[in-house]
Amino acid sequence: MIEVRNLSKSFKIYHHRKGFWGTFANLFSRKHRIVQAVDNVSFTVTRGEMVGYLGPNGAGKSTTIKMLTGILVPSSGSVTVNGYIPHRQRKENAKRIGVVFGQRSHLWFDLPVQESFELLRRIYRIPQEQYRRNVAMFDELLELGAFFQTPVRQLSLGQRMRADIGAALLHNPDVLFLDEPTIGLDVVAKSRIRQFIAQINTERQVTVVLTTHDLDDVEKLCNRVILIDDARLLFDGELATLRRMLSKERLLSVDYAEDYPDVRVPHAQITHREGTRVQYRFSPEKIRAAELIGTILQKFRIVDIAVQEPDIEELIKTVYEDNLILRKTSKII
Amino acid sequence: MAFSQIPSVYLAFARTSFQMRMQYRVANLAGLTTNFFFLVVQIFVYTGFYAAAREPQPLSLTDIRTYVVLCQSFLMLMPLWGGRSEIAETVKDGSVALQLVKPVDFQAYWFADALGTAFYYLLMRSLPTFWLGKLIFGAVFPQQLDIGIAFAVSMLLAICLSIAITVSVRSVAFWTLDATGVNYIAHTVITFFSGLLVPISLWPEWVARIARWLPFEGLIDIPFSIYLGTLTGVDIWLAIGKQVVWTLVFIGIGRVLITRGFSRLVIQGG
Repeated sequence: MIEVRNLSKSFKIYHHRKGFWGTFANLFSRKHRIVQAVDNVSFTVTRGEMVGYLGPNGAGKSTTIKMLTGILVPSSGSVTVNGYIPHRQRKENAKRIGVVFGQRSHLWFDLPVQESFELLRRIYRIPQEQYRRNVAMFDELLELGAFFQTPVRQLSLGQRMRADIGAALLHNPDVLFLDEPTIGLDVVAKSRIRQFIAQINTERQVTVVLTTHDLDDVEKLCNRVILIDDARLLFDGELATLRRMLSKERLLSVDYAEDYPDVRVPHAQITHREGTRVQYRFSPEKIRAAELIGTILQKFRIVDIAVQEPDIEELIKTVYEDNLILRKTSKII
Repeated sequence: MAFSQIPSVYLAFARTSFQMRMQYRVANLAGLTTNFFFLVVQIFVYTGFYAAAREPQPLSLTDIRTYVVLCQSFLMLMPLWGGRSEIAETVKDGSVALQLVKPVDFQAYWFADALGTAFYYLLMRSLPTFWLGKLIFGAVFPQQLDIGIAFAVSMLLAICLSIAITVSVRSVAFWTLDATGVNYIAHTVITFFSGLLVPISLWPEWVARIARWLPFEGLIDIPFSIYLGTLTGVDIWLAIGKQVVWTLVFIGIGRVLITRGFSRLVIQGG
């Protein structure tokens, strides 16, 4: 469905000299530097898959999406979507994909949602029957009815996003690109949108590529994640695998029977203490969980004990902050 | 662009643009007042000027008043002078690239949008302004029906020419971050040579000759000269022919600029 081979994209960024003479100098010669936005990225997405495309700000997520939708031409490498080369066969590709940019609406600002939908019906030449069925379905799942006649500029962010996602699916696209679809939404709105995406994906076998910062999105929707940072692919595989690879550190929560003044144990750091409840962080490479628990049991009396894996938000944060670990990890992959 | 697509999609775009303008009817009232204000000022200036003139002028006072009324009535139909365009804004800020995810011809979309706007202004500005001008300053109707028809054709072409020129000028924003300068210069030159400020037949011969070689008389001077009967017979057809040719030329220029602009955008990024 989607084939990305050695995809790279670099931009020329012009250097603007400052000051009065600098402005003059800019007229005659402009220095520039090359910024590598996407560097040699390859992956394949098969039909019906739902993939989370993750990375910090400026990692190259949106640039990749733009190349997949034909808005940007790759500097090198190749992209095919549905067998089309997006930037060469723009219109053919456009008819078969749906795109939602969380930051910007594709609807007509001054028009009621319904009118925007009618326009899209004409643009994509959607048969009446299909159009009616889709509108009815989206109305049921996304509850568009409440604001179907309202101009887009008067919609709340959550309503606008629901309308935008519906709009992107009116023409039954094979692939749906969602660029941060839940950005700025409250919990209820997020979960409604996630449910809808999941349902569309299973019912229609729509391939979904989702970029997001929100790891909840990924956990709820995607089995597979592609992680990029600093333009390069760091990981491509199951979320569970990523979690395993990254969770070098684990947490141990202990509930002591007494309020011991000193609960320190070797090879584990106390990350949190609240009365008799203490949380340790330890690395299984240095000390195995069993050993650690054994040490604690020898010294103290306990009520309860539990080993936890850090949640993935924490994990990926450490990944982003600590590039070194990641570079090693990426070599392992 | 498939020809069969035109009625459905692009007509819908035109209608949409019309509908969107309809939401700002109060703002339109303010615009109407502005039109009327300029109408009064220009007519007083010409009346004073004609009273002081010793030689007979190429246009009668009634004609010049009608010309001014026509200018203020039909000005807004042309995107060059009429209202702001959301599409031009997207070209300016680069978000126009997002248009590429829709299977639509961008130039045709822009054209349809501008035509819809023109139709809105025809109803909400042109007719009221002309009616006031006729009532208060005695603007006249064309002398014959066929002149009226020729004017209608020429006016429609003027609108198309104006859209084609505007699309080309605004497309410069694909290259420069700040197209204000280019727009400003283009605007001044076009306004002057269109005959909007002073009808070309009142100009000194040598400046008028320059204007006749430029496309911009097709925006104002040609349709209104047909209306007033200053252009007659074969000259009408020649003038309309000129409008057609220039419109096609600018559609071509716009096409090249837009294609190049987009390919620059997709290579360099927005």
